[in-house]
Amino acid sequence: MKKKDIILGITIIIIGLILMFVMKLYNNSQGDEVIIKVDGKIYGKYSLDKNQEIEIDTEYGHNTVCIENRKAYMKEADCPDGYCKHQGHISKGNQTIVCLPHKLVVEIKVNDKSSGDNAKLGNNNVSKDNDSEDELIPDAIVK
Amino acid sequence: MKEKNNLRKTLSVFICVACCSLFVSCGNSNTGNADKTKDNESGISASEIDKKNGGNNDDDYAASRDIFAMDTYMTVKAYGSNADEAVEEAIKEIERLDGMLSATDKDSEIYKLNMNQGGSLSEDVSYLIERSKEIYESTEGTFNIAIYPIVEKWGFASGDYNVPTQDELNELLKDTDFSKVNYDKNNQSLLYETETMKIDLGGIAKGYTSARIMDIFKDLGVTSGIVNLGGNVQVLGTKTDGSDWKVAIQDPLDEDSYIGVLKTHDKAVITSGGYERYFEKDGVRYHHIIDPKTGYPADSGLISVTIVCSDGTMADCLSTSLFIMGKDEAIAYWKKHSSEFDTILYTENNELLVTEGIADQFTSELNITIINDDK
Repeated sequence: MKKKDIILGITIIIIGLILMFVMKLYNNSQGDEVIIKVDGKIYGKYSLDKNQEIEIDTEYGHNTVCIENRKAYMKEADCPDGYCKHQGHISKGNQTIVCLPHKLVVEIKVNDKSSGDNAKLGNNNVSKDNDSEDELIPDAIVK
Repeated sequence: MKEKNNLRKTLSVFICVACCSLFVSCGNSNTGNADKTKDNESGISASEIDKKNGGNNDDDYAASRDIFAMDTYMTVKAYGSNADEAVEEAIKEIERLDGMLSATDKDSEIYKLNMNQGGSLSEDVSYLIERSKEIYESTEGTFNIAIYPIVEKWGFASGDYNVPTQDELNELLKDTDFSKVNYDKNNQSLLYETETMKIDLGGIAKGYTSARIMDIFKDLGVTSGIVNLGGNVQVLGTKTDGSDWKVAIQDPLDEDSYIGVLKTHDKAVITSGGYERYFEKDGVRYHHIIDPKTGYPADSGLISVTIVCSDGTMADCLSTSLFIMGKDEAIAYWKKHSSEFDTILYTENNELLVTEGIADQFTSELNITIINDDK
């Protein structure tokens, strides 16, 4: 009986570990976020995976940010110049849409594995992967 | 006996589940921390300054802030033990220059000069006028800070857009001759020859600001930093791991793609394009970069021009200038000044041209034509 208990215990621990691993994996793939800031402060964080419309009403004016098929764009804005609506559909790390008159920034935050713990630990085994991953996320975008 | 076994089983299951949930929650809290670090890195709150977890190495310490200034959105980031002070000073410098150089702020030096057809100049404005004159001459009038009356007429200053008639433009073009703005170097003063003349440093101010921030960083002992002033980027040194900064160039035809990525250090990377700031009237698109020879938005066949140069001020001036010049003239200009800068040109026919100095550091999925200096 005691032996079986141990086997049961180990099995559950293993299942637990697998569950944890799967959850971490799931977390990573779901990690890409749309961050909306107004006047330098976070207005909200939204998953890039969930299609939705976000209405933003502030003292500066009204904007509607739309997340659709893993891309975010400015659907509506009552700002005078309308430049934010020209900035297209964004989905890559560090890309932004800026509505200047409303002091509003829509930013994509990609769950950047390369600049995370692996890189810090200097893990050489994964450095190759990091490089290719790194390639996708520039430090800055000129436009 | 059976009951005891059951109890034991239940107990062990309970313990295991507890262990598992502990594991899982540990995992979650770790990612939570990681997220927090990353958020701070991007300067989520303007007043928030981040500290990388651990802090085992001073060089890895990063401070960043973002600010709305100069009609754009800016982010400033510095690394190292003096990063906090460096970023604070950079923000102060941005605010100081914004207050001084704005063409629309009634308290600015430029606004007052335009109201009074001249006046005495601060050190900064004096330097900027000198540089503007220099590039006005080298580009044969293409870089022209005196084009402002026409920019205003189109409504790009106010957002109240309007398409002027050719007659109106012809009339205004008479007052956009920068050589009629007399600069007295000894007395550091400016005198406009006609009353309707106005200058605007919008085509040089951001480049100058990023260059000033690099100086501030250096003075404070910072060796690694990056500023992004509304898409005008300048980097100091390399990244803290010694690798080059990666600067992507926006694809004007597909907002979610890049023309390519440049790996660089100690350089300003500044792009001009007419694809973001524009208005449409009667089905025609009018962008904000005015050709001083016609008074109309430049239509040169180039849709994106990037300048790579160690001098941010110059990079800013030249991106606008080469965009207006068009491909052939831009290449000719580069050949005359190839020791001073490099450039990436993208045409409306999807032709991508890169000068030889940066060809090795630039990667793109498009076909690249390398421009060589035949000297």
